[in-house]
Amino acid sequence: MSDHLHIQNIHKDFSGLKVLTGVDFKVADKQRHAIIGPNGAGKTTLFNIISGKFKPSSGAILYKGEDISGKPPHLLNRRGLSRSFQISNLFQELTVFENVLTGVRSRHRMRCNFFKRPNSDCTLCAATEAILENVGLINEKDKPASSLSYGKQRALEIAITLSTEPELILLDEPTAGMTREETELAIRMIDRLTKNHTLIIIEHDMDVVFSLAHIISVLHYGTILVSDTPDKIRNDQRVKDAYLGEG
Amino acid sequence: MKKNYVAYSVMVILFLLGAFMPVILKSYQMNMLTEIIIFTLYAVSYNLLLGYAGLLSFGHAMFFGLGAFVTAIAINHIPGISLINAVLFGLAATIVAGFIIGCLLLRHKGSYFALLTLAFNSLFFVVATKWSSVTGGDDGLSITRPDLNLGFTSISMTNANHFYYVALIVVGIALVFCWYFTQTAMGKSVVLMRENEERMKFLGYNTNASRLILFTFTGALAGLAGCLYALHFQFVSLSAISVDMTTAVLIMAFVGGTGTYWGPILGVFVYILLQNFLSDITDRWAFFMGLIFIFMVIFIPGGLSQVIMNLYQRFFGKKTDDNTEVEETT
Repeated sequence: MSDHLHIQNIHKDFSGLKVLTGVDFKVADKQRHAIIGPNGAGKTTLFNIISGKFKPSSGAILYKGEDISGKPPHLLNRRGLSRSFQISNLFQELTVFENVLTGVRSRHRMRCNFFKRPNSDCTLCAATEAILENVGLINEKDKPASSLSYGKQRALEIAITLSTEPELILLDEPTAGMTREETELAIRMIDRLTKNHTLIIIEHDMDVVFSLAHIISVLHYGTILVSDTPDKIRNDQRVKDAYLGEG
Repeated sequence: MKKNYVAYSVMVILFLLGAFMPVILKSYQMNMLTEIIIFTLYAVSYNLLLGYAGLLSFGHAMFFGLGAFVTAIAINHIPGISLINAVLFGLAATIVAGFIIGCLLLRHKGSYFALLTLAFNSLFFVVATKWSSVTGGDDGLSITRPDLNLGFTSISMTNANHFYYVALIVVGIALVFCWYFTQTAMGKSVVLMRENEERMKFLGYNTNASRLILFTFTGALAGLAGCLYALHFQFVSLSAISVDMTTAVLIMAFVGGTGTYWGPILGVFVYILLQNFLSDITDRWAFFMGLIFIFMVIFIPGGLSQVIMNLYQRFFGKKTDDNTEVEETT
């Protein structure tokens, strides 16, 4: 297996505050990689750097062997990298359908076209409905996003993330704030939708992490404490001390 | 689809009504109607920025004025220039200006965008004032409308009604295109940008480029309105490029309502009719216009179109829309 993403010695400081102090890990092609760690460890900052929102202070990010650090988010998305947000980042006033269509037409290069109407394009509408079917929102497609329940907004967040048909998916706490049942559903959905994709997931819920991930990295005070398979992570003394506790 | 059908039908009806107006109205009223039609395009172009993209610009008059001045200058300095070419000159100038200014503005939003557009408008105004050898300065520029040469025939433009038809057709086509534009990929992207620009970036949209395209496009539409304005009055004064002309379009759009496509069109009718009515009664018409505007902003921020929509929902809503009951009880 080749490396899909290779994070090389990433540092990030915000005017003196060192958030990341040398993060290093590799994500193999088609692998599911979970990042866990206590609050404030820098998980979301790391996502912001990978997805192009922030520039790293130093270090490199190799995406399919090419350094992408500092490239703007829209170019990274066009190359197959898509992320979700910890706090649902939707187009609140628009319908569920329009929300997902936004990504679908971006994928089909219908971003700034002055003459074509995306809503009259059968290919785009069919692709959008297929995604909505997959995440179980097809019955809500004409409702405004703001009217959905919290759990469904989280599902829509994932739907939007998948709408650009990414190869590398970054999910930032997809099940945050969900009930037990919603989480179960979400795990199965993520499992189904991210088959044959490379996935990096930030998660606090250990059930989610241990049932989805092939490899788990523990981020602790700005650096990777350990990266290994779920079984080994479960029994690692350092991880127990730093994060898992005696669970 | 149904909404589209209605919208295009209304436009066709309005166009046909407009085509019959010269039979009914006196020449004084025809003058006013031509002015209204020209300002309609100006206001709709402004609303694409303000209502659709959520960008408050205080510099829309620089495009309107630039279009008007370049058209006038072209007519005065190029002997025998055709009407179409004069308009194309004005249009080309605003497209270039819109693109260059847009490049300088594209990273800014909100109040920075508003203030920078205001600064550029002032710059254009000062240039127009000081460069009097070309723009005529305080005296303005007088022009004579060239004839419209269509190749197979030439239509005299000395008759004001002939020019009315030109304005009606040009603005009509532009408005139909603008309506179509709101449903195209670009038109949808504009609204998405207002809603959540950050998310768009993470979905592969280059929002700075979209903003630049929109700014240039709306500037060109305003420039086209400016060209027609110069041709209509056969005179361009500094007021065409002044900040007052920007506030005028802001008030027009606001009075009509920025939440709908047709709101600003209604706003132009109300503004110009009211202005004519008030200026007949009192010299201080601007004062009363200001009062009305303040009243509107405070009490009906959605403008007249919101009032009409609410009334429509109240009387006809029950049959068509389930939300009415919620509306009425709240």
